[in-house]
Amino acid sequence: MKQIVVHQEKCTACRECELACSFSHEGSFLPALSRIRIADFYEAQFYQPMVCVHCADAPCAAVCPTVAIQRQADGQISIIEDRCIGCKMCLLACPFGVMSFSPEKGVAQNCDLCNGDPQCVQFCTPGALEFADIIEASALAKQKAAAALGLPHA
Amino acid sequence: MATQYVLIGNSAASLAAIDGIRKHDKQGAITLINREQGSAYSRVALPYYVAGEMTLDELLIRQQPDYGKIGVTLVENENAVAIHPATKQVELESGKKVSYDKLLIGTGSETIVPPIQGLDQVPHHYLWTLADAIGMKQATNTAKTAVVIGGGFIGMLAAEALRKLKIKLTIVEMAPILLPQLLDEGAGQLFLQAVRDEGVTVRTGALVAALAKKNDAIEVTLKNGDTFSVDMAVVATGVRPNVRCLQNGAVSMNKGILVNEFLQTNHPDIYAAGDVAETKDFLSDGRSIYAIWPTAIDQGRAAGANMAGKQQPYPGSLGMNVVELFNVTLAQLGRFREGAGDDVKMLSSGKDGLYRKVVVDQHGTLVGAVYLGDENGVAEMGVIHSAIRRREKWQGFQDGRPPKFSYGAVMQAAPRY
Repeated sequence: MKQIVVHQEKCTACRECELACSFSHEGSFLPALSRIRIADFYEAQFYQPMVCVHCADAPCAAVCPTVAIQRQADGQISIIEDRCIGCKMCLLACPFGVMSFSPEKGVAQNCDLCNGDPQCVQFCTPGALEFADIIEASALAKQKAAAALGLPHA
Repeated sequence: MATQYVLIGNSAASLAAIDGIRKHDKQGAITLINREQGSAYSRVALPYYVAGEMTLDELLIRQQPDYGKIGVTLVENENAVAIHPATKQVELESGKKVSYDKLLIGTGSETIVPPIQGLDQVPHHYLWTLADAIGMKQATNTAKTAVVIGGGFIGMLAAEALRKLKIKLTIVEMAPILLPQLLDEGAGQLFLQAVRDEGVTVRTGALVAALAKKNDAIEVTLKNGDTFSVDMAVVATGVRPNVRCLQNGAVSMNKGILVNEFLQTNHPDIYAAGDVAETKDFLSDGRSIYAIWPTAIDQGRAAGANMAGKQQPYPGSLGMNVVELFNVTLAQLGRFREGAGDDVKMLSSGKDGLYRKVVVDQHGTLVGAVYLGDENGVAEMGVIHSAIRRREKWQGFQDGRPPKFSYGAVMQAAPRY
C-alpha cells in the first residue's frame, strides 16, 4: 500500500506539511488542525514527522465503539465521519498520537492520503516525506543502511 | 467435527470474540445468545441518542445480515439461566438447552439499584440498556428539571445529554468531586467548577435518602434533610457484573468471574470476557474489573483466539477513559491517583484550564496519567498510554513526550499493512 514514508533525517521542522495539510483539508493555515505533526526535540535537533501509518492491526479501529473507523479495500484506515460520535477513545488508543480531532465537526480525523496526492508530500521542501509503497520503501532503507556499513545487501 | 462455539451476550466482548474465533477458525459453528432483541448497538453511544444527536438506527454497530455472513446463529430474547459444565450445556429461560464445545460468558454488567427509600414508588431512569435510553428520551420530552443520582461516568454522560436538552440539573454525588473513578483531586476540583459554571447544581458529599411522588413532580430528600422537587430522576450509582446465569455456582467467582491469563474459568472450556470477567491487572499483581469498552474488546479478542485453540495470553487490564463533558475534555490512564512510593510529575498545573499529571512508581516506571483540557491533548495521552503498556521509564521524557529515539524507533517498528 502506498502511504506517507518518512525520512526523519531530512526533516528540518519547517512545518510546511502542517500548513499544507490544514489548508487542503480545513481551508485555513492552522497547524493545530493538521493531521501530520512534527514532534520537535529542538535541543537535540531531532525532528520526527508523525502521521497515521495505517497500522496492520489498528488499535483505533479495534477500540472504536461505533465502528466508525474502518479499513478500506486499499488498506487505508478511514474514519466514517457520520458514524463518529467524537468520544475520542481512538485518540487515547493511538500509540503514535497521530489521531487528530476537529472541534468544529466534533469528529476524529486521521491522514486520508488526500485521495492519492498527499499535499504534505507536495510541499515538503527538504524531501523528508515521500508517497511510496511502505514495504518497498523499508526494504530500500534497509539496503541503504547495510551499504553504508559496508555490509552485503541484496 | 466443527467446534460448537456458544457466546452469551451481544456486545463488545462477544463481538470481539467472534473476530478472534474467525481469525483462526473459519468453520466452527457460532451461536450467540442475546437477552435483548436485534443487532448489537453501541452502549457508549446511548447518551448521544438521548441528546437527540443519533437515531436508533445509527446506534447499531452490526446489521442483522452481518451475523449470518460470518456464520453466527442468533438466539434472541433469551436469558441464559444456568450453565451445566458437566453436560456442557447452557440452559435458557424458555427451557431450551444449547450444547457447547467452547463457551464464552460475555454478559456484561447490570445497573446497581441503590438503597433509596421510595425508589420503587417513583418513575426513574437508568442509562445502561437501549430500553433505558429510549425510556429516558421519552421522559425528556416533558421534563424541565432533573436530578442525576451519582456523578460517576454514566451519571455525568446522562447529565451532559440532559444539559444539551436544556433540562435544569441537580447532580448528587457521594464523593467530594465528580467522576472520582476518572479524576484525581486536582482535576476533580477544576471539573466541578466547570460544571457549576454552567449553572448546574452539584451536591457533593451528599446521598439521596428518599424519593417520593408529589403531584406530578418527584420530591428528593437528601440524607442531611434537604429537599427539592424535580420532574425526572436518573439513577446512576454504578454497575456490577451480570452473573445471573451462574446462580448455580457453576464457575468460580469473586466480584466477577475469575479467569486466568487465557480468559479461562476453572472449567477450561468456559471462558469469560468483558465487564463480567475479573482478570489479571496490568499494573498490580491483583485482579481487576474496569467495565470499559476497550478492555471488553481486548479480552474478547484474546478469549476468541484461545477458544479457537491458540495460546494468546491477555496482558492484563489497564484502566483508561476519555470523555468530553460540559465543554471540557477529560482523560485518565492507569494508576492516576498516586499511592505510597509513587512520584508525581505535574506537566500543567490547571492554570488556563489545562491540567496534565503523570504518575511514576518507585522504579521510575510510568503507571498513570490524568488530563483535563481541550480535545487535542488527548493524543498525547495516547502516547503515554502506549508507554505505560511498554513499561517505559519516565526518565528522558520531555514535557510528556517520549525520548526522541523511542519516538523514532516506535514509528519505524509500526506494523505495516
